[in-house]
Amino acid sequence: MKKLAEVLKDWEAVIGLEVHTELTTLETKMFCNCRLSHDDPPNTNVCPVCLGMPGALPVPNEKAIESIVMAGLATNCQIMRHSMFYRKHYFYPDMAKNFQTTQGPVAFCMHGHLDLEVSGAGAKERPDATVEKDADGGYVAPIRILRIHMEEDAAKMVHVGGEEGRITAATESLIDYNRCGTPLIELVTEPDLRTPEEARLFMEKLRQTFLTLGISDCSLESGSMRCDGNISLRRRGATEFGTKTEMKNINSFKSLHDALEYEICRQAEVLEEGGIVYQETRHWEPSRRRTVVMRVKETADDYRLFPDPDLAPFDLTDEFIDRCRARIPELPDAKRDRYVADYGLKRADAAQLAGDPKVAAFFEEALEGVGEKVVGTLANVMVNLVPSYDALTVGQVRGIAGLLAEDALTFAQAREVLDAINGTDEDAVAYVDAHGMRQSTDEGALGAIVDEVLGRCADQVQQYRDGNKKVLGFLVGQCMKAAKGSGNPKAFNKMLAEKLEG
Amino acid sequence: MAANFDQLSAREIAAGVANGDFTAVEVARAALDAVEARDGEVKAFLQVSADLALAAAEATDRARAAGERLGPLAGVPVAFKDNMHLVGTRTTCASRMLENYESTFTATCVQRLLDAGATPVGKTNMDEFAFGSSTESSAFHPTANPWDVARVPGGSSGGSAAAVAAGEVTVSLGSDTGGSIRQPASLCGVVGLKPTYGAVSRYGVVAFGSSLDQVGPFGRRVEDVALAMNALTAGGRDPWDSTSQPVACDFAAHLDDPIEGRRVGVVPALMEAAGLTDEVRDAVSAAARALADQGAELVEVDLPNIASAIAAYYVIAPCEAFSNLARFDGVRYGYQEPGQATLAEQTSLSRAHGFGEEAKRRQMLGAYLLSSGVYDTYYYPAQQVRTLITADYARAYEKCDVILMPAAPRTAFKFGELSDPTQMYASDMFTISNNIAGNGGVSVPLGLGAATGLPVSAQLQGPAFADARLLTFARAIERSFSPDGGAPVAPAFAGKGGELA
Repeated sequence: MKKLAEVLKDWEAVIGLEVHTELTTLETKMFCNCRLSHDDPPNTNVCPVCLGMPGALPVPNEKAIESIVMAGLATNCQIMRHSMFYRKHYFYPDMAKNFQTTQGPVAFCMHGHLDLEVSGAGAKERPDATVEKDADGGYVAPIRILRIHMEEDAAKMVHVGGEEGRITAATESLIDYNRCGTPLIELVTEPDLRTPEEARLFMEKLRQTFLTLGISDCSLESGSMRCDGNISLRRRGATEFGTKTEMKNINSFKSLHDALEYEICRQAEVLEEGGIVYQETRHWEPSRRRTVVMRVKETADDYRLFPDPDLAPFDLTDEFIDRCRARIPELPDAKRDRYVADYGLKRADAAQLAGDPKVAAFFEEALEGVGEKVVGTLANVMVNLVPSYDALTVGQVRGIAGLLAEDALTFAQAREVLDAINGTDEDAVAYVDAHGMRQSTDEGALGAIVDEVLGRCADQVQQYRDGNKKVLGFLVGQCMKAAKGSGNPKAFNKMLAEKLEG
Repeated sequence: MAANFDQLSAREIAAGVANGDFTAVEVARAALDAVEARDGEVKAFLQVSADLALAAAEATDRARAAGERLGPLAGVPVAFKDNMHLVGTRTTCASRMLENYESTFTATCVQRLLDAGATPVGKTNMDEFAFGSSTESSAFHPTANPWDVARVPGGSSGGSAAAVAAGEVTVSLGSDTGGSIRQPASLCGVVGLKPTYGAVSRYGVVAFGSSLDQVGPFGRRVEDVALAMNALTAGGRDPWDSTSQPVACDFAAHLDDPIEGRRVGVVPALMEAAGLTDEVRDAVSAAARALADQGAELVEVDLPNIASAIAAYYVIAPCEAFSNLARFDGVRYGYQEPGQATLAEQTSLSRAHGFGEEAKRRQMLGAYLLSSGVYDTYYYPAQQVRTLITADYARAYEKCDVILMPAAPRTAFKFGELSDPTQMYASDMFTISNNIAGNGGVSVPLGLGAATGLPVSAQLQGPAFADARLLTFARAIERSFSPDGGAPVAPAFAGKGGELA
């Protein structure tokens, strides 16, 4: 198969995503009072309603409606005051009623958009001139959102004894209804995505947004956030859509990117060989890095959708929507812009910190009482060091940033310190001092060492003066050695250069 | 005293228990004795819950002994249609599909009668999943009309109507989706109220048509029905049924309010409807005169779209039925076809063999009507008809307080007499429009028909949440047509068993 970059020169990929997000932070299910859980023993959080027992009736969870309205507002959707639930029928034991309660043509949230900032290597995936690129090759891709609707999740099924965990040929099929009835929001994009990187960024941005709203734990691994990708190709310049395939089993951002990349290349190969792309559902196999056919959709499924007569239509009031709006915290884009404006951070660093609400909160706490000179270093520490550790305290991070900012520690040493104090309550500064790691920048104390090194390294000094500036590194190393690690390399560097140039 | 409990009203029984004239256990035993003596022929019951009845009655007697205040239905024997859950009983919906289905919780409507002190005597027969107008589609056995055991009791709540008509219980509950309370009440000569949609909780009642179903009581007296309604609506709206509404009124407080000067609507076209027998028309005309004699003003009103009600109903109801009955697949409970290799075969054959003919017909119809391409042709127009009929009623009620019309076009028919389903569907020609609009309606006995000698009834319909008003007018008819204060127990069964010891 051709490489992605080569394929995308001739073909335009048209990608749309369907993203299901469980509202895991709610206490109860969508239509009953059962607790939401992920690790309780099977079939312990169930009742007549979520088991679909005869005679049971659904009562909608108001908090779930608040959550979806918040999600809609945060993604620039129009909040539909009037909408209703529908029943979507299919016979399968994971849905106890043999219908799923979902929404019809009008969802709670319609017609929104998220703007993606694509930069760096990812931006190079898009070779076409339909987007305006900046000097670094970055661009902004506005992605329209068709709708976000509310529905209930299905039960979890485990097929024992069959191949690939499928029901066909299974000796036993086990059902856990704990998940059945979990509030689920489904976001559907317009087919506006053009590269795997854009799809990955969209998912990431959506995840950051939902995490910031606090409506879900958004775990792709555990399946509380799930993504299906629809993809088709068309020749550059064409306006008609090609036949699309649907990608399932995407449980990481990398899978999303790689599955789409594979599928784009696969479709291109089929089309270039004069073949036909069939409308089918394909399963991503991460271990073998390929997609395989799950089932062919010859006709559209007939779900016999009709308005659920057990649930009256909703008429959301302005007060309700305003209440939801008031609960929305500062969103990642706004936070990023504030970090750039207030702290002079690099846009990419600011975006990384602002993207995860826990990281952002940690950062902002660490900033408290920190001098202006340290802010940039602190951000740098947050971006480059902190993600490698799981149990640092705000004080430890603040201490490390302070030491780095005053050149009392090298980056390599900072790592060494963090390795040692991660998970303890030890103070970073105290640790550094106790272990004699603090580096001196005192020119008086370091001057003698510099003179001693220059004195015994006459050859290198001569080389430097002859134009080989690289030899400076060797001399700094000699100084460091002579100072037994307590001298600051930057200071040595500066002093050596001064003396040699002088 | 050696009275028969079948001669006592609900109020008399509750008062008798409260006063110590007799115990709730004595009444329960009398009712169980009457069922023993009468139900071999009537076959109104699918299950008799003697243990539950005696336990409830003993609890009532203990409460009295402890000086506690007794409920307004203390000791009153009641029966429940077998689509209502009561823990300790099976809920079969008269279907093989649920032949062994044990209730996992108790329906709100059932619980509220129990909370009022009622004694649960058993679960009554019905058309399978409430699909029918004769109770003949029960998978287990037919129920006889106590006034002529060669004839049907009507349906689908035929068992509940027959149990009250035969004096086996004082009050029973039925459900009405297109007339399933009012039509059997008419055929059995008892009072049957379908309250306004939302007045009584549907939680725990196995759904047929969710936007049409409504639970309501049967009794031989309007007052018994009023007391049952008080119990059903006490406690306000049910938080477990999001379509239920609070009803804040005392249904028994205004039964004998004068109707002088109030307006009774009559729809001339309905009185000339094809299929309406002379004896029913004449009796309903007599009811109109009786109301006029009590000072009511008769006004003609028009319901121009009512002829489309049956057509709209047979789109909406099967669609909802298909959806509601989809859960019966034999996987978790209910009939499961043995020995199947695949899920698809097991589901298909469990449904093919678990459901009866009419249940399958309605589900097939619903599955077809909801399928893509067909949906727009039928479902939307049916909903539009629904809007038109609702508007017709709203206009009519600007001119009148209630509308008087027949409850059923004819008196009870013989078993097997209506073999064509569409003939059977016409049994509900006077009742269905009210379910379409969501309003309340009540069947009131008018004595026996001149031609057949079988019970004939009038139906009163009213605007939404005017069900207490309906009972006031029903009581006015009762005053004229039932000088003994209520409809009699069917003569063949009155006094058979049921002596209060």
